[in-house]
Amino acid sequence: MASAIEATAVGKVFGTDAGRVEALRDISLTIGNGEFVSLIGPSGCGKSTLLRLIGDLVQPSSGSLRVNGKDPGRSRLDRDYGMVFQQATLLDWRTVAKNVELPLEIMGGAGDATGRLATASEMLSLVQLGEFADHYPWQLSGGMQQRVAIARALAFRPSILLMDEPFGALDEMTREQMQQEVLRIWRETNTTVVFVTHSIPEAVFLSSRVVVMSPRPGRVASIVAVDLPHPRDVDTRESAAYFDKITEVREALRGRGVAEAAS
Amino acid sequence: MTHDPDVFSAFEGIVPGEERSTSSGRLAAAWPAVLAFLAVLVVWEGLTRALSVQQFILPKPSEIVRSFFATSGVIWGAGLRTLQEAIGGLFVGVVSGVAMALVTTRWIGLRSGLMPFAIAANSVPIVALAPIFNQWFSITSPISKVAVVAVVVFFPVMINTARGLLEVDDSEIELMRSFAASPRTVMLRIRIPRALPYFFSALKVASALSLIAAIVSEYFGGPQDVLGQYIVNRAQLFQFADAWAAIAVASILGIAMYGAILVLERVAMPWHVSFREPQSS
Repeated sequence: MASAIEATAVGKVFGTDAGRVEALRDISLTIGNGEFVSLIGPSGCGKSTLLRLIGDLVQPSSGSLRVNGKDPGRSRLDRDYGMVFQQATLLDWRTVAKNVELPLEIMGGAGDATGRLATASEMLSLVQLGEFADHYPWQLSGGMQQRVAIARALAFRPSILLMDEPFGALDEMTREQMQQEVLRIWRETNTTVVFVTHSIPEAVFLSSRVVVMSPRPGRVASIVAVDLPHPRDVDTRESAAYFDKITEVREALRGRGVAEAAS
Repeated sequence: MTHDPDVFSAFEGIVPGEERSTSSGRLAAAWPAVLAFLAVLVVWEGLTRALSVQQFILPKPSEIVRSFFATSGVIWGAGLRTLQEAIGGLFVGVVSGVAMALVTTRWIGLRSGLMPFAIAANSVPIVALAPIFNQWFSITSPISKVAVVAVVVFFPVMINTARGLLEVDDSEIELMRSFAASPRTVMLRIRIPRALPYFFSALKVASALSLIAAIVSEYFGGPQDVLGQYIVNRAQLFQFADAWAAIAVASILGIAMYGAILVLERVAMPWHVSFREPQSS
């Protein structure tokens, strides 16, 4: 499998008023095409920063980062990334369909207005919001808004989906539903997904691999492969294998804590 | 007299979207105001009669109303000419204020270069320039009044619009960056719609300022057939009911401008929070 993302010894130092803050140190990580990888760790472990580096929203201070064999900046200009943030970030003055069409309008893809609307409808039915095309964002619940954000990120068929705690603001029930949705969409679209979360069950349920990070400075502590079979559903959540993986990730996170206490 | 506290708050920057209303609720909400207005008139009439207040101190409302209708041709004609100056100045000031806001937001270098001057100039009592503008643009020409209005209106519009253009969520900017959108696209698709509520708040303040500025600049001389001169002349002749009738015209014009802006605002941004019908869900 060709690698979608290849990080070699990547480091990031932020210069702030309070001095230099080392956010990431020596990150080496390869993510294959079509993989679903979660980044997990305590606050301040740099997982969001790593996602932003991949998405060319911030620049690395050292090391090398290749996305689809290119510089991340090139990949961004080639529109290889779809991004979903914790906030849906929908524009109030556009209908749901028009929000999904936004990237197409900007990129000039999908032909004329009819073509764009067709793509938007297709994406909205993918996230099961077909009937809400003409609603305004504020008429939707938080979970529905987040689905619109996912539809928008997928509208221009990016090869990589970057998700930064997309379900962090949702209640537990909606959250589990959304996880199911994302897995289905991932399998249908064959997109590479990098998913930042601080929920261990979420990371295990979604991912083919969970990257466990440790803070100050952010490093990769360990990588846990999750070989639970697909399709994953409610039964998966109740299986022993699932609990074993959750325990494994939790211990990987805690292992760091022990080492830190000892030092 | 040119700076009442409300008007002055424009310079601090306005946070839009505080007034909420529905069409049926607004009519019902208007009744207390109408009743209060009538009550004030009745008390005013009663007190001026009972205490025999001299008309040069405060004329009776009934006298003002009589004068309002007796002189309606003159005061509305004067009002119209003053309104033209106000709207002309408002137009020039708003267009240049918005242009300046767009330019300074688009190029950060310009912002840091120009903003300190804009803010410093903002604290100059601009109406004080009226006699000088009368010299520059000829005292007989309405241009001298239009110029005063334009300068008065420019700063609140510029500062508030610029603030709206800059007050955009980081996540919106990151989203647009992920679409590889150009700065021009970000301006058109995000910043300008986001700035509209700020712009309209500024416009409401600016419309009130425009009438004030026009009338005050008329006090400093010029053609006689305008509200400012009419009020000065009538007051000098001790015809205070006439002066008050002209002031009533100025108020009606001010309210009309405000109403027109409310309509414009609704047309321009029907999506805004303040226009939403209450949701059941």
